[in-house]
Amino acid sequence: MQFSNFQEFIEMGGYAFNVWSVYGMFLIFLTVNLYGPLRKNRQIIRNLKRRYALNAQIPSRSASADTQRPTGSETTEEESA
Amino acid sequence: MDWTWFHKWGSPKWFYELSGKWLPWLVGAMFTFLLIGVTWALLFVPEDYQQGLTNRIFYVHVPVASISLAFFPLMAMSGTVFLVWRMKLADVVVKVAAPLGAWFTALALASGSIWGVDTWGTWWVWDGRLTSLLLQFFLLLGVVSLRTALEDSEGAARACALLSIVGCINVVVIKYSVDWWNTLHQTSSNFTLAADQANGPEIWLPLIFMIVAVYLFFAISLILSTRNEILQREKRAQWVMDLVAKS
Repeated sequence: MQFSNFQEFIEMGGYAFNVWSVYGMFLIFLTVNLYGPLRKNRQIIRNLKRRYALNAQIPSRSASADTQRPTGSETTEEESA
Repeated sequence: MDWTWFHKWGSPKWFYELSGKWLPWLVGAMFTFLLIGVTWALLFVPEDYQQGLTNRIFYVHVPVASISLAFFPLMAMSGTVFLVWRMKLADVVVKVAAPLGAWFTALALASGSIWGVDTWGTWWVWDGRLTSLLLQFFLLLGVVSLRTALEDSEGAARACALLSIVGCINVVVIKYSVDWWNTLHQTSSNFTLAADQANGPEIWLPLIFMIVAVYLFFAISLILSTRNEILQREKRAQWVMDLVAKS
């Protein structure tokens, strides 16, 4: 252990600004790039749920709802949840 | 030769399911390495006789900066797989790696700057290493904006793959910049396991923990974004509908 008390640890031998701002940015960097995609995943699933429900109500929408390249199955009839 | 593994890896559904099983283990390992590495680096690493306690910045700056160099080779490899074999998943990797790489490069530049202000006496110089890393940051932003700028998604994917391959030249420049131009940034320290090396294990062991932790973070963040992109691209596939219905 390089420090004898908490005060010394915070002061970082006079380099408190340098050390703590770098570790602070590191923490922000980790949080943004882990929590961000996790939150986006929940958002995507919520949006898709709404979209599938809407498509099930109006079957004609499913063909024209999106102009992106069609991949996979086009059938949405069984989706109601 | 059996090529089924290659086709499996190209299947977004297979990737989504397998990565879902890996993620808890990767996250657990990352937090373990991170906790040990950060505690060790902040509390126990001895003070440097010249830099004082700013040597703690080393344990963030070096892992982040060295892993930031992995982005262009990764994107170039994925881009080549996309261009040659038309594997959709490879293009997803090119797309999600670019913004994450920009984050890594930005943190490498910022942490280096804050380290340099007291040890070098300046925030910034147009040194070979610093300039080439700044160029990498702009190249990565270029890949991100190229994707959004082009209307045609197939054309954008091809352009991004090409820019990723070209961008690898800069990685070579960054890597050897400290040897080519003797301006300010020091050359890499030699990490050998020999007993007579300049830096003892009390210096480099915590670094190894931090490098492993940041590598795991890199993999986890990339996998999470890849999964999100897969869900959006495959939203008309039956397996995505089943998955959404179950959740």
